[in-house]
Amino acid sequence: MRPILLSGHTRALTQVKYSKDGDIIFSCAKDQIISAWYSANGERLGTYTGHVGAIWTVDVDPTTTLLASGAADNTIRLWDVKTGKLVKTWEFGSSIKRVEFSPDGKQLLGVTEKRQGHLSTIIVYDINYDDIEDQDEEHALRIVVDEAKATVAGFSYQSKYIISGHDDGTITQWDAKTGEFLDSTQAHEEDMLISDIQWSPDRSYFITASKDKTAKLISATDLSVMKSYQTDTPLNSAAITPVKDYVILGGGQAAMEVTTTSARQGKFEARFFHKIFEEEIGRVRGHFGPLNYVAVDPMGKSYASGGEDGYVRLHHFDAGYYNFTFEVERD
Amino acid sequence: MSKVAARTTDWADDEDNEETNTLPPPQSTKNKDGTETIISYRFDADTGKKIKTTRRIRKTVVKQFVNPRVAERKQWAKFGEEKGKAAGPQTDTTSIAENIVFRPQVNWKASQAQEQNPIEQKKASLKDTKIKCRICSGEHWTSKCPFKDTMAPEGENAGADAAGMDDDVGGAGSLGAGGSSYVPPHLRGKAGVTGERMGGGGKYERDDLATLRVTNVSEFAEEQDLRDMFARYGHVTRVFLAKDRETGRAKGFAFVSYADRSDASLACEKMDGFGYGHLILRVEFAKKAT
Repeated sequence: MRPILLSGHTRALTQVKYSKDGDIIFSCAKDQIISAWYSANGERLGTYTGHVGAIWTVDVDPTTTLLASGAADNTIRLWDVKTGKLVKTWEFGSSIKRVEFSPDGKQLLGVTEKRQGHLSTIIVYDINYDDIEDQDEEHALRIVVDEAKATVAGFSYQSKYIISGHDDGTITQWDAKTGEFLDSTQAHEEDMLISDIQWSPDRSYFITASKDKTAKLISATDLSVMKSYQTDTPLNSAAITPVKDYVILGGGQAAMEVTTTSARQGKFEARFFHKIFEEEIGRVRGHFGPLNYVAVDPMGKSYASGGEDGYVRLHHFDAGYYNFTFEVERD
Repeated sequence: MSKVAARTTDWADDEDNEETNTLPPPQSTKNKDGTETIISYRFDADTGKKIKTTRRIRKTVVKQFVNPRVAERKQWAKFGEEKGKAAGPQTDTTSIAENIVFRPQVNWKASQAQEQNPIEQKKASLKDTKIKCRICSGEHWTSKCPFKDTMAPEGENAGADAAGMDDDVGGAGSLGAGGSSYVPPHLRGKAGVTGERMGGGGKYERDDLATLRVTNVSEFAEEQDLRDMFARYGHVTRVFLAKDRETGRAKGFAFVSYADRSDASLACEKMDGFGYGHLILRVEFAKKAT
């Protein structure tokens, strides 16, 4: 497998996302730009410029028409994917840590950071596709998270629930229509931040990555922990692969902590686990900084990882990846 | 003459230029094996020279079904920082990294542990081995011995050293070598030249005869103490006390050389078992090794 190195960013990557058809990759970084790349050959389609702070998060709607981004300049911005034009800006009191479209693309949620005078909130907007420049100024729903602040969030299947991960290791389930609190569970160790939530293709379950060095597969309906993947490094991201039953975990010692550890390296590798058997099956090296995000092609052809080193590494899976099976999987 | 020559070249150049102003039309011929040969001509931008390019190509039609949405997006114009750039990956943002072999395997962790093992096994095996110097029996490699320049390995007539220098000079001096102990390689080993002593067999031998090896010496011993003790039995030419490089303490053994062998044997007899610094000295003639 020959990775394609995407070097369009000058600072640490924060998130990488595939479009629903898997043909375009969107990457955002602390250098205040968002890049769009063709996943087939790594060609850069364009950039979305306008943010004036580190961009924390990016997401694209299922039709690849609109791109949403959240940044440290306290705005959520909406972009026309095709032209790179800014179509809408929502302003907030604190920075935006996560944005995500609902499965049907009709809603967009944003997670705002807790800061002096501003509570952590999950905010939902209705998105209008008839005239993309005409978006509601007012939010459709606002959930105030008064206990531990929310770090990540997403919509479950049929936009039924909003699931949020918090900085104390809990997962909370909210009603996506009313914003009502439904359930909460201490999925990860206490006071261990949940750094990522990514969905299975049908959004009935999701994977969480946490600083407690584990990733967990959790059901969206009842928040039961189905699988747990133990690693030896704080995790920043976790993804579920379609086609094959694997999960990919990314993480690594934070740069500021590398010098205080005696480990041979920072463990800047993407780790592949078997989704069902919870067993590590391999690693992919390459980054020379922690992996901040791993994203998998919804078509299952490739995966991309964005690192603290400022590179996106795009890996197209080869035969070895597809042919691997456990003994019990063979007939 | 030179003028004429210059004119000729000019004239030749003119001819060339005239010729290169026109390019032959590109030719395309179909080969029997289904390939096509295309010959095209162009001017090189830098040198202005005519360049002929011959390409042999085979055309194959590969049909691929692509999602129409994806196909449509492939045609999108570039924007933002990429605006106006040519189609295809740009070298400044896209590059190919080195190949990574990714073979998922069951029991990946265990196999990794095995891979690391050879190094650690070697380390572990070295940890328990006792390193013994052949020169001073210390716990270091022979090549790292601090005495390797002054002492021969225990096995081979220990005790050879600079004390023999006087005699050496004498031997070589008789040759008229001007007091230098250096003997050219082609003369080495010739009895008449290097003195009978050399011919007598081995350059360490003479020394050995009057050198005592003293062991079980106190850590706090000083070379001068030893010299004083051993000087009672005759003229001591050299005392060598092995010391640890780092601590500066004695390592527990020493060599004492006498000018005369009979003195040495007397000293050996008397000093063996002598109490010094709470320890009983053991004195013997510096041994030859097998």
